[in-house]
Amino acid sequence: MKYLDKSIKEINELLKNKTIKPIDLVEEAFEKIEKNKDLNAYITLNKEQALKDAKELENIEVDNILFGLPIAVKDNIVTKDLLTTCASHILDNFTPIYDATVVEKLKEHHMIIIGKTNMDEFAMGSSSRTSYFGAPKNPWNKEKIAGGSSGGSATTIAAHDVLFALGSDTGGSIRQPASYCGIVGMKPTYGRVSRYGLVAFASSLDQIGPMTRNVYENAILLNAIVASDEKDLTSARKEKEDFTRLIGEQIRGMKIAVPNYFMSDIVDINIREKIEEIIKLLEQKGAVVDYIDVKYLENAVTLYQIIAMGEASSNLARFDGIRYGHAKENPESITDLYYGTRQEGFGQEVKRRIMVGSYLLSGENAKTYYNKALSIRDDMKKALEKVFEKYDLIIGPTTTTTAYNLTDSMDDPRKSFMDDVLVIPVNMAGLPGLNIPVGFSKDKMPIGMQIIGNAFEEAKMYKLASFIEKELNLDLNPFGGEKND
Amino acid sequence: MTNYIPTIGVEVHVELKTKTKIFSNSINGYGEMANSLTNVVDLGYPGTLPTLNEEVLNLAIKAATVLNCKIRRQMHFDRKNYFYPDNPKNYQITQFDTPIGYDGYVEIEVDGKTKKIEIEEMHIEEDTCKSTHRGTKTLLDFNRAGVPLIEIVTKPCMESSKEAKLYLEKLKELLFYCDISDCKMEEGSMRADANVSIRKSESDPFGTKCEIKNIGSISNVGLSIEKEIIRQQALLERGETFKEQTRRYDDKLGDTVLMRVKETGNDYRYFPEPDIPYLYVTDERIERVKEDIPMLPNERRKKYMDLGVSELNANKLVQNRSLSDYFNTLLEEKINFKIASNLLLGDIAAYLNKHEKNIENTTLTKERFIDLINNVDDGTLTSKNLKDILDTVLDNNLSIKEIIKESGIKNITDDGAIREIIIKIINDNPESVKDYKDGKDRAIKFLMGQVMKETKGSANPKIANEILTSELNK
Repeated sequence: MKYLDKSIKEINELLKNKTIKPIDLVEEAFEKIEKNKDLNAYITLNKEQALKDAKELENIEVDNILFGLPIAVKDNIVTKDLLTTCASHILDNFTPIYDATVVEKLKEHHMIIIGKTNMDEFAMGSSSRTSYFGAPKNPWNKEKIAGGSSGGSATTIAAHDVLFALGSDTGGSIRQPASYCGIVGMKPTYGRVSRYGLVAFASSLDQIGPMTRNVYENAILLNAIVASDEKDLTSARKEKEDFTRLIGEQIRGMKIAVPNYFMSDIVDINIREKIEEIIKLLEQKGAVVDYIDVKYLENAVTLYQIIAMGEASSNLARFDGIRYGHAKENPESITDLYYGTRQEGFGQEVKRRIMVGSYLLSGENAKTYYNKALSIRDDMKKALEKVFEKYDLIIGPTTTTTAYNLTDSMDDPRKSFMDDVLVIPVNMAGLPGLNIPVGFSKDKMPIGMQIIGNAFEEAKMYKLASFIEKELNLDLNPFGGEKND
Repeated sequence: MTNYIPTIGVEVHVELKTKTKIFSNSINGYGEMANSLTNVVDLGYPGTLPTLNEEVLNLAIKAATVLNCKIRRQMHFDRKNYFYPDNPKNYQITQFDTPIGYDGYVEIEVDGKTKKIEIEEMHIEEDTCKSTHRGTKTLLDFNRAGVPLIEIVTKPCMESSKEAKLYLEKLKELLFYCDISDCKMEEGSMRADANVSIRKSESDPFGTKCEIKNIGSISNVGLSIEKEIIRQQALLERGETFKEQTRRYDDKLGDTVLMRVKETGNDYRYFPEPDIPYLYVTDERIERVKEDIPMLPNERRKKYMDLGVSELNANKLVQNRSLSDYFNTLLEEKINFKIASNLLLGDIAAYLNKHEKNIENTTLTKERFIDLINNVDDGTLTSKNLKDILDTVLDNNLSIKEIIKESGIKNITDDGAIREIIIKIINDNPESVKDYKDGKDRAIKFLMGQVMKETKGSANPKIANEILTSELNK
């Protein structure tokens, strides 16, 4: 019985006609997770509660397409009564007393939370190797990184454990691991999905999004988690819409821009060639594709470092051992409690970012760096918005290389940021960005393409993505088996 | 000893009287069980985000208006980063770059002259939680965490403790009157810090300033400033210098005590709060808030005195907001305001105190009060009558006329009855009648006294006097 390899529509039918029950899906998911244990995709499994939830659903009518489906949630999204560690020692005993708004949404749709996925500590990293619980592995090659920071979510989807996962994306943390693992990952427009209950890394950049095997399921999950939330003042006040509504439409006449910077020699030649193939395909199908210059893109990483680290240094100040989380035992003074707790609790990368961030906000530096970065960020946003006056979408590669080896050095922080050079501009401008798999490298690692839309135009992105997905019809199961549609 | 000129600036934190906290929907309350008025937002739980209580913004606009401040139309909040156990997020959400109010003033009367105390700025922020030290332990009560505050900062423009006290009294009166805060210094809903420095001459630069933190009452603000001036003078006279420092006022000691010397460059790493979007204050909003501002104390005092109320009574009325509001409903009436103020501040206030009631909770409607005033004004009711019937007037719905009738006062205001008593008294006191006829004024006073004695003080004195005179002149 491999129900979880079927399409979401098929599973929904089977549930509706009572051929299967939610508990069959949950049991199958745990079997697969157990089998793929070596991938280290999860920090915490929610087995007991998930089975109980599935049982309870037997008394409820199948009321929506996500009913009874297992979902994995990144471990920086708080879940009531379920350990939420942010992959950090400082929170490894933290059981929240409330649900994030997105988690409430999942529960409203009668989805079943299967577990909490591995990630970079506090989402700070690009390979999930800063996790206190060890890095997840790439299902396509267990010697390779899954990417990060939503590495565990990408891994479990790529391994076909479950159909759905949530990730979060501050500077590419959904799209980059999605690209490395050959799955679909969407970072929605800033404000689309409530951040209430997402443990903040960089508040002005963080956004939760869906990670799935295919485009349709991605749009379905986005439908479920989008909400105007009065608990989040940065949440967008928007009418409900169906993100699947343009899927299946022809792309003739679509105007697509490719920034020259995205196709410059910062990107691996094999990846560029793959993207060029896609561009040709789109042109054949009637889309208009232009190569253009977009100002400020090359500044994005620098801006990101200043803004994200500045905000992070403040957001992570609350972990002081007083109210929750790890605390130094028998502190001699309040200062000792602060120093001891944070010294023991945070990993190296987190400490490094807090220190850099604190420095950037100190005294006159706030004006020199942070405020300056905010103003250039505005200019960059305007430059991108200008592109959308003429074009429907922007495309390019998601990453400069395919997934690298887990054993590669972590000593060069600049390099790890350069991994994210193509994904960061999207966060800076608050725009939606999506990764879809478009092929494989010579060493059989997935190559991803990024689609960037104007604010709140996710539906248009899904339209192009699903068109490409259908045209390519790639086999995206690293362990073989039945292909899904 | 040289005469020094003190320079004083005052910073006041005022807790706003809102139903809920500034960034969460927890109740804003005082005196409840520790940590009973908190939620995950107040505790700074991971993943929580601030919401914004619109009531706070309205009260801040109101305060800015009555403090004659300019109101900023586009503003944001900032994070002030510092580690302290009473600061749950280890940053405080405040307004650093864009305080909602600026360039305002409050007028005080010093030695018969009006002085403007200039307000540098006024901003919105959240309160911290309350820490209680027990031996080596510190207990934290988060009920106060997230209570909305406004901080009002004056320029260094005061020259004496007297000015500082008058300013605080005026500030308290204004904020209390507008329902912005209950301004209870003893409960901490109003807290004052004073910055004091001294110099020899106006042309000198300001001296080194010392900040006296968290002073518990207005009188202590005065005392601590005086003590601080003396302390600084003594140091300067001895030729000593001192560093900028934070002190507190020790009530038992009756002097200021050093808390800490200010290190250079307190680095709060301020940056704009990314969780709260920019706020835009519209003209319409300001207008709506202004409509909600009641008549202010100065205007009230002036109006009352223009209507014939004594200065003493006018001040007393203004000090009692609910009586003053009640009095304001009468301002358009044609009544004796002197009597009205005497009644309110005298017997009625005594009744309200005794019964711990508010005037709104009595049966004294505006119409009945006017009736009462007029009955006193025309002499129908003596002050003794009034004392007798007041309880009934205040807890009963009967008309004043009916109350007078039922209490038996009616008979004595009856001409015939009084005349009868007067004739009897004239007959019983032939000597006094003779004295009267001889032109001795004291005689009529004595006879009136006899009348009041006979009627147990309940005769209408005006009528009795008329009848007595006419009988004597027969």
